[in-house]
Amino acid sequence: MRANGVWKLFAAVVLASAFPASVAGQEPQVPTTREAAIEGEQAEKAKTLHPYVPGKFEGLANRAEDILVNGVPRVHPFFESAYYGGGFTLGAGYAHHVSAYNLLDVRGTYTVLGYKLVEAELTAPRLFHRRGSLSVIGGWREATQAAFYGFGLGTSQQDRADFDFQRPYASGTFTFWPARRLLMMRGGLELTRWSQRPAEGGSFPSVETIYRPSSLPGLGTKTTYLHSQGTVGFDWRTSPGYSRRGGFYGVTLHDYADKDERFGFRQVDYEAIQHVPILREAWVLSFRSVARTTYAASGQQVPFFLLPYVGSGHTLRGYISHRFRDQNTLLLQAEWRIMVNRFMETAFFYDAGTVAARRADLSLDGMKSDYGFGFRLHGPFATPLRFDLARGSEGTRLVVSTTPIF
Amino acid sequence: MSTSTFASSARRALLLVATVLGLAVRVVSTERPHFYPDDPIAREPESQDASKAQPYSWSSLYEMTTNLFVTAGHEPSGLRAQNINTIDEVPDSSWFTNRVGSTRIAVEDLVRGPNHGTPPDPSRWTLTREKTSGSHPGFTARDGKGETWFLEFDPPYFPEGATGAVEVATKIFWALGYNQVESFLTTFDPKRVEFDPKATIRRPSGARTRFTHDDMNSILERVARKADGTYRIVAGRLLPGRVLGGFQYDGTRPDDPNDVVAHEHRRELRALRVFGAWTNLTDLKASNTIDTIVTENGRSIVKHYLQDVGSTFGMCNDLHEWDLSYEHFYQGDTSLRRLFSFGFAFSPWQTIEYVEYPSIGKFEGDRFDPRAWRPQTPTRAYQEMRDDDAFWAARRVAAFTDEMIRAVVHTGEYSDPAAEKYLADVLIKRRDKVTSAYLTAVNPIVSPRLDADGRLTFENAAIAAGAASGPAAYRASWFRFDNATGETQLISETQSGTTSIQAPSSLPTASGSFVAADISVEANGHPSWRRPVRAFLRKAGEGWTLVGFERLPERLSNERSAR
Repeated sequence: MRANGVWKLFAAVVLASAFPASVAGQEPQVPTTREAAIEGEQAEKAKTLHPYVPGKFEGLANRAEDILVNGVPRVHPFFESAYYGGGFTLGAGYAHHVSAYNLLDVRGTYTVLGYKLVEAELTAPRLFHRRGSLSVIGGWREATQAAFYGFGLGTSQQDRADFDFQRPYASGTFTFWPARRLLMMRGGLELTRWSQRPAEGGSFPSVETIYRPSSLPGLGTKTTYLHSQGTVGFDWRTSPGYSRRGGFYGVTLHDYADKDERFGFRQVDYEAIQHVPILREAWVLSFRSVARTTYAASGQQVPFFLLPYVGSGHTLRGYISHRFRDQNTLLLQAEWRIMVNRFMETAFFYDAGTVAARRADLSLDGMKSDYGFGFRLHGPFATPLRFDLARGSEGTRLVVSTTPIF
Repeated sequence: MSTSTFASSARRALLLVATVLGLAVRVVSTERPHFYPDDPIAREPESQDASKAQPYSWSSLYEMTTNLFVTAGHEPSGLRAQNINTIDEVPDSSWFTNRVGSTRIAVEDLVRGPNHGTPPDPSRWTLTREKTSGSHPGFTARDGKGETWFLEFDPPYFPEGATGAVEVATKIFWALGYNQVESFLTTFDPKRVEFDPKATIRRPSGARTRFTHDDMNSILERVARKADGTYRIVAGRLLPGRVLGGFQYDGTRPDDPNDVVAHEHRRELRALRVFGAWTNLTDLKASNTIDTIVTENGRSIVKHYLQDVGSTFGMCNDLHEWDLSYEHFYQGDTSLRRLFSFGFAFSPWQTIEYVEYPSIGKFEGDRFDPRAWRPQTPTRAYQEMRDDDAFWAARRVAAFTDEMIRAVVHTGEYSDPAAEKYLADVLIKRRDKVTSAYLTAVNPIVSPRLDADGRLTFENAAIAAGAASGPAAYRASWFRFDNATGETQLISETQSGTTSIQAPSSLPTASGSFVAADISVEANGHPSWRRPVRAFLRKAGEGWTLVGFERLPERLSNERSAR
């Protein structure tokens, strides 16, 4: 009897002790094999499946890539000033494909000095079996305080006078690559009206307070031009926007026909660019020379605001925009570009430029010069940000630009 | 002893036994053993249905940006790869199949690679759309038999280069264990081209419009043409299954239930750092991979492919890209050095002499350093590679014999025999440098076996591969191993001057018992070999079965050494 009780107790204890195990058995099965252990993890994950959800930054990157690569309609920043010397420029554009390749871009900018630009451009980049491209632009721009320092190299900064101009324009430019590479031909036609007016605002006197129409051709005029131009060039750079090798050699002929036959003239631009890569393009020696010569039509004059100039963030970087103007200019630039990585480069540079009333007076003697150091962010085909610190005889200037120097 | 006393004692004893039994049941039911009966597994199970996984297209810009500026600064976790089995090997899976280095690959199997179907019929190509993957220009088209292929051409400055690289590299990576696309060298004759009436191409506007003859010409103008007016191409067969897009080198797919190991901890993805260095596969990004849903054994699973391995050898670079494979697209240290030295601190890629064959490109083996090799952008898996991962990978590279390398290079059908020989020679040189660098970096003991007579034999992979030489002494520390608790108890130590060591006579004899052996190597010039590997053996009948192997601990201290 007692022994029977002992066995009952044993059974009870065993059952009681087994109870927690049976409870445990209702928890996830403890695997007995490696395969079962892994399958258990997979079954657990199967309860919480969901599609991939991109994060905020990834969403932005997706959008940016869509814009950059796929070219969907987009709002974009735009930084081109109506005229050099307007100061910090801010603007925006809206680009929209009107067909598979053709793009309509409506854009505008405003500068701290009140320069204004509004224009629309239609580009057709794929004409004649990808040998030609067409750009048609219509717009209006105004510069309120454009600088004029007089003619020649002998002027001083104190000679500055300002002027305003307004200019509506409509143009078409057709670029043709007969062999799709190397040889480039470009022709363009523009109808525009320059209205030169007294400067608005600013601390410098307006030009009409210093000059007379007899001493400053074009002063106070409204001139309507039919501007035609043609270019022939050889271009084997990887891209005009950024290149570490190749070159460009071209000549452009402009004809500015004034319907009133007062300020008609022709201009010839000679430009040569050569990039010399060294040490597998870790260094690049880049050279550029530009000569511009003007020829007034018979009995006519070149208006002062269309005279070639040196001095700007793209020419003589150590000098204020349009610092030196005259009938003819010569600009020489050299850069030693140093690759930092695939997106950045630095450069030491030297610029020299001169202006002269006569072509024969363009000389290497007495050229204005500057030197400096630059830092650029770039991609394979473009230079969206350029900082150049340049020192010339009139001081040190910082150039911030969204375009390459050359 | 009275009856009552006996009953009382028995009651107490039974109570104790029952309690212990009960507790034992609890312990057995909740604790996982160190080794399961089916260890080591040979195949990673895929038990769940993945048919609901959704396609996703990764942004290349996002991936490049995060890899260059976030992943590059990632501190490696030091964690051991998490998809390996208990003997430090990668089991077969939807990612990987053990081939070279695990089994004997016949040369004829290697040169066939993933190609099991018939080659395309190039008598007529019907263009259906642009090519949507890969860095070289091409089309999607149907062949004369109506099968869909992805056609890829050679750049004009690399005739036979891109197509040859795809053909050769596809077979190498297939042999290394990765899922590969079937690809065949063939021809494209523009005179025998038709356009599918429904063929479209994506325009810059985003719209898809009709695929025109001019669209075809715009591609053909940018590729290498043969003298007879035809084009050499490589045709990749359309993969079976539903395409999901590429896989990332970190994290897991949230919509694939079988994807439970973070990709940065998959050994075969970490090992691409070694395989990439050997073959110069610099373009490691999601868009060069592809996941598809396929049905296997009646279940939908996600299968993972290295889709485009054509950016290999000298084809990883464009004509003027000398820095690739020496620097990431952006690298802080080299950028600063060049910035402050104005470029006078030269980088290695600026002074390397190349023997350049147009069909091979910039690819050399004399100054190649596998530890200094860099892909275009670092991936998380690349960052997480440990020396045991690299050792595993290097053994597979070492398994390619000269004969195999020359045979697989021959499938590139290079018209210049000198170019073919050069490519094979460089691959052999680079193979030797990879094995020399990675087989010697850790204790190179492999394949331990304990026979019924108590003799432990193993191999020294570094010496066997010729990556190291000279005398070596081997020492084994023997332990009893408790599979339930993981506790060890030292038995004794034995040693030998050969790769065969007698075990102590006091090893456990019961079937199912475990021993562990820590094997270290004393060899001049290799202090890292003193760190022992640990082999776990289970008594099975008369003999012992290897059930576990650890070359390095589960977690290493964080170290950002240039591996």
